[in-house]
Amino acid sequence: MSTLIEAHGLARVLPGDPPVSLVQGIDLAVEPGRFVAVIGPSGCGKSSLLYLLGLLDRPTAGSLMFDGMDTVPMGGDARAALRLARFGFVFQFHFLLPEFTALENILIPIRRLGRLSGGDARTRAMELLRAMELEAQADKTPDRMSGGQRQRVAIARALANDPSLVLGDEPTGNLDSVNSRRVVEIFQALAHEQGRAVICVTHDPDVAAAADRRIHMRDGGIEKVD
Amino acid sequence: MRRVALLLSIAFQHLAKRRRQTIVAVAGVGVGVGFFLAVSALMVGSQDDFVKKLIDAAPHIVVSDEVRSPTPQPAVQAYPGGAVAVHGYKPRTEMRGIKGWQQLVATVNAMPGAVASPSLSGGVTLRVGGHEEALAVIGIDPAVEAHVSNVEENLKAGSLHALETNQGGLIVAEELARRLGVNMGDVVGATSARGGTRSLRIVGLFGRGRSPGGSSGTGYVLLREAQSLTGQPFIINRVGVKIADPYRAETVAKALEARFSYKAESWQERSADFLTLLLTRNIIMYTVVSAILLVASFGIYTVVSNAVADKRRDIAILRSIGFSQADLQGIFVAEGLVLAVIGIILGFGLGLVLMQILGSLEFPVSGRVEHIPLDRRPRQFLLAGGASLACAVFAAWLPARKAARVDPVDILRGAA
Ligand SMILES: Nc1ncnc2c1ncn2[C@@H]1O[C@H](COP(=O)(O)OP(=O)(O)OP(=O)(O)O)[C@@H](O)[C@H]1O
Ligand SMILES: [Mg+2]
Repeated sequence: MSTLIEAHGLARVLPGDPPVSLVQGIDLAVEPGRFVAVIGPSGCGKSSLLYLLGLLDRPTAGSLMFDGMDTVPMGGDARAALRLARFGFVFQFHFLLPEFTALENILIPIRRLGRLSGGDARTRAMELLRAMELEAQADKTPDRMSGGQRQRVAIARALANDPSLVLGDEPTGNLDSVNSRRVVEIFQALAHEQGRAVICVTHDPDVAAAADRRIHMRDGGIEKVD
Repeated sequence: MRRVALLLSIAFQHLAKRRRQTIVAVAGVGVGVGFFLAVSALMVGSQDDFVKKLIDAAPHIVVSDEVRSPTPQPAVQAYPGGAVAVHGYKPRTEMRGIKGWQQLVATVNAMPGAVASPSLSGGVTLRVGGHEEALAVIGIDPAVEAHVSNVEENLKAGSLHALETNQGGLIVAEELARRLGVNMGDVVGATSARGGTRSLRIVGLFGRGRSPGGSSGTGYVLLREAQSLTGQPFIINRVGVKIADPYRAETVAKALEARFSYKAESWQERSADFLTLLLTRNIIMYTVVSAILLVASFGIYTVVSNAVADKRRDIAILRSIGFSQADLQGIFVAEGLVLAVIGIILGFGLGLVLMQILGSLEFPVSGRVEHIPLDRRPRQFLLAGGASLACAVFAAWLPARKAARVDPVDILRGAA
């Protein structure tokens, strides 16, 4: 099976005196339909790796291919366009825009991509909310929702433009066990039923156990994969 | 287009959440634009009024029988192109009238919308009883002169036409008539150095302060009358010219002078000092109103730069979603634009109210009620709106650039 995202010798060094190495020597490949967890002790570079894979940060060495495209020489606008159309991010803190309702938060990436007309965009956003069992929250702003609801709105927003790759950074880190399990089930469905690649940084053993594959990190490198 | 609408809607949301600052910034722009309009309406209005008076006070161009440069000397004429130069010659003051004035008048009349009025001016002494007054008398053809100057409008009594219907008709200033102790219909004696003495009848009076050229010592008679009074039959020494576009007077004057070699003075040349004064006044005015608009845009700078500082997290979110740096810059510039547009609309309203108030003020001037001349043309509105928009874009662009430079990874790391 062809890979969706593939890294070779990926490294990120923060310039400075002395320079700080966040990650180095990363080789990995993730195929569509796979749910991969990234685990390891605090400060080992999991988030740093995720920012590189999500084209939010630029590697200082190595190669990073996405869907057959070399992302390293891409300019800022091309990377932004790729994030918009193909990537979905879910962070530990919900990271919704506070002034906008749940529905509007989901509409923002859809409208920015501009492929759907106004009515179709609304229909799509409502479908995503329904899939997350959030229809009743559609017109609420984030401050009037529970933590679990917010995180599911954030997932719905990450899925707004039907991304090929979903990246999570401790998406269950702030949730209780019931809400965590829901998020895990959603992530499994994203990979196994919808054929997306899912890469999820986590401390939660339940999340790690639910993944198809676990990447163990230590000191900025990959220790083992199982 | 959709992208612009989206960026605008995000900008609107940001502003809606900082109402107080938004109101202050909008009010600043509104007051700036309002006063810009009021001040420039006053300044431009009074200037236009003044220039109109300058233009109308006399013909747009006056061709007189003077020459500015000496006529070519025989030595130079004899050797055209030769190394001959004659120094020290002054143009001879030839007060013998304009030769070939008929051709000059025909040339002017052939230009679309232009009229030429030939006249003769000379000095006479008016005598009534023991009183004597000097008078610069101008002989005109009333039918033609009426098209060239606004003499008719400045008459308090009588008419230009009355010069033709009355034998020996004379129009003088009210002040002069009072000094001589005469009134409409009275007869005065007029003597000139070269001619004889004749009796003239007052058939018109210029209103107080409205004599041609601002001098109460100028009077009008029929051209024939002036010619025989001053002993210069068939002579014309002055041609008043009115043209369609008064602002082309300088060009036309140059052309006439080049062709006929008589001095042709445009109204601009005549009033050069005043026009320089107006230019200085304009520079001062636009400096002051630009400063007002610039200060108004400080409010916009404050709002936008605070928004950028507060919204660093949102900036990171939008960037991770896939908004480009240009998008982020656009959002914050749009905030400045929204503030400016609302402020400009309010400012237009304020400006209209101020103009209404200024326009309703009444000033009694020599018995007549005068209103302040105001310029209410859309040009001023466009200028005020355009200038504040430009200021606003610049004021918002400075902090917006910072928004675009926010590195989302820095924010995400800090929050996680
Ligand atoms: N700006 C920075 N300057 C210096 N060191 C930094 C900077 N940012 C991150 N680091 C270091 O880089 C390393 C990797 O950080 P990263 O956030 O990727 O770890 P992590 O595995 O996600 O940790 P956690 O599980 O706590 O989120 C850490 O040791 C951190 O101290
Ligand atoms: Mg982390």
